[in-house]
Amino acid sequence: MKPRLEGLGAWVLYGLAALVVAFILAPLVVPALMSVSNTFYVKFPPEGFTLRWYAKVLTDEEFLTAFLFSLKLAAVVTLIVLVIGTFAAVGLVRHQFPGRGLVQGLLLSPLIFPVLVTGVALLQFFSRLGSGEAFLHLVVGHVVICVPYVVRTVSASLMMADRNIEDAARTLGAGPWRTFWRVTRYQIQPGLLAGAVFCFIISFDDFPVAMWLADAANFTLPLQIFVFIERYFDPGMAAIATLMILFAVLLLVLTERILKVSIKKLVGVEAA
Amino acid sequence: MRMGRTVATERRTFVGFLLVAPAVIFLVAFFVVPNFQMVVYSISARSEAGVMIESWNVGNYLRLFDVDLYRIVLIRTLRVSFLTTIISIIIGYPLAIVMVRGSDAWARVITVVVLAPLLVNVVVRAYGWTLILSKKGLLNWMLTWLGLAEDPGQILYTEWAVVIASVHVFIAFMVLPLAGAISKIDAAVDEAARVLGASEWTLFRRITVPLSLPGLAVGTTLVFSMTAASFVTPQILGGNFSALLGSLIEQQVMAVHDWSFAAAIATVLIVIVLFINLVYLTLVQRYFGAWAPVE
Repeated sequence: MKPRLEGLGAWVLYGLAALVVAFILAPLVVPALMSVSNTFYVKFPPEGFTLRWYAKVLTDEEFLTAFLFSLKLAAVVTLIVLVIGTFAAVGLVRHQFPGRGLVQGLLLSPLIFPVLVTGVALLQFFSRLGSGEAFLHLVVGHVVICVPYVVRTVSASLMMADRNIEDAARTLGAGPWRTFWRVTRYQIQPGLLAGAVFCFIISFDDFPVAMWLADAANFTLPLQIFVFIERYFDPGMAAIATLMILFAVLLLVLTERILKVSIKKLVGVEAA
Repeated sequence: MRMGRTVATERRTFVGFLLVAPAVIFLVAFFVVPNFQMVVYSISARSEAGVMIESWNVGNYLRLFDVDLYRIVLIRTLRVSFLTTIISIIIGYPLAIVMVRGSDAWARVITVVVLAPLLVNVVVRAYGWTLILSKKGLLNWMLTWLGLAEDPGQILYTEWAVVIASVHVFIAFMVLPLAGAISKIDAAVDEAARVLGASEWTLFRRITVPLSLPGLAVGTTLVFSMTAASFVTPQILGGNFSALLGSLIEQQVMAVHDWSFAAAIATVLIVIVLFINLVYLTLVQRYFGAWAPVE
């Protein structure tokens, strides 16, 4: 039985928690209020009501181009990371080999390494090679920062999967590939899904790698929004922010409800 | 039989290597090598009058510590990270306690709310804060409306703006490990203390805090290193007056083209983050880990 909060202490704690909840939600809600203001620049309190800023944003060439570009980039990155990350996780969990600890450390190390530093190091690396393929550079940079998440989520699923079923499949004559495709794949589905969603979000939202590796023809959405912030002071900017926040909410609901992936697991900070 | 087993084991070893190979090769080529090259570059080149000269030197590091302009940024980075961590601890504890011990509805609301900022793009989050913290923003409007201030100054473009926005997003990394540690505290311990007449505050100070130290250590590590290495939040909310090391690296590369100095700053950032992740975390867990066995 867990101890419950009661008495005066409970009210104080609930009060404090409510304040912090308000603090956390404020900057995620305020843009929506400002975005419908019928004024030429953002102001609080907003005046009047209009949806014209949304119309303006949703027909903005630059915004749409960057949005589609980021979607494409995130999709490519997710596919690559799912393949090499799953291979690696199976190797780490199901096989014993010398240097296994070292490999695991290497595959997880981009997690604690400053992303910005990885980005600038890659820029220098690519310019030494004389490479000018910005799209390729972005894919490489994002794969590096996404690998640990897929390795971790898939490893966790593998460790929980019942090995007897795999063994049964092997005994009945299925080869290793067939066993993976017909048995293991379903057992580790939660890990694959969590890893995929995570990887997609990381790539789609990344700024500190893209800021170094992007060029004018390969410009991601976060970079574009950064440019907008410095260029526009009208409620259109707040409309963009609102759309992005709605997009995040949509992702959250999708993952929790449809894919049944716990959001806590997603962020990888499952209470340690 | 025995022979067969050995062959099978060798085969499994080989297959294991084969499976991890793509990811390992990829990370060595595009993560280890580039970062290593950059660290080497910070001591093997220097910029003189805008021209890069290849020679072994520590001038780039001396410059970071000697020149006031740069040292201020280094110290500010440490200070902002420290303040963010402290504030995260102060507001993280009540949240973690409510999350573990409060009603289920509260626990769920707090979990979702605390994690929400992590799903919102960092640029958008920072923009949301500019709407609140600017001179004509929500906060000042509220202060004036409540009659608390006549003509409040603005928090935007100060270190505090950076701290506030950093706490906002990194609080999750404090609350969740804390909640994890607190949930492992045996209810009987709390009960015993209460029976013996301990007040709620004593209970918190003498039981909750010591027994949640492992979680606190993890939270502190994550929040501190993530704040120190952040770029977008200080760039948008700190402006030119409160740049952190990340902005300094960006300036050196994009504006001044001094790659060697940028490499040195990046190396210092790596050292700070690795120190806090490896040395600090290991020490805390060695000395305090025994207090609350981590399963």
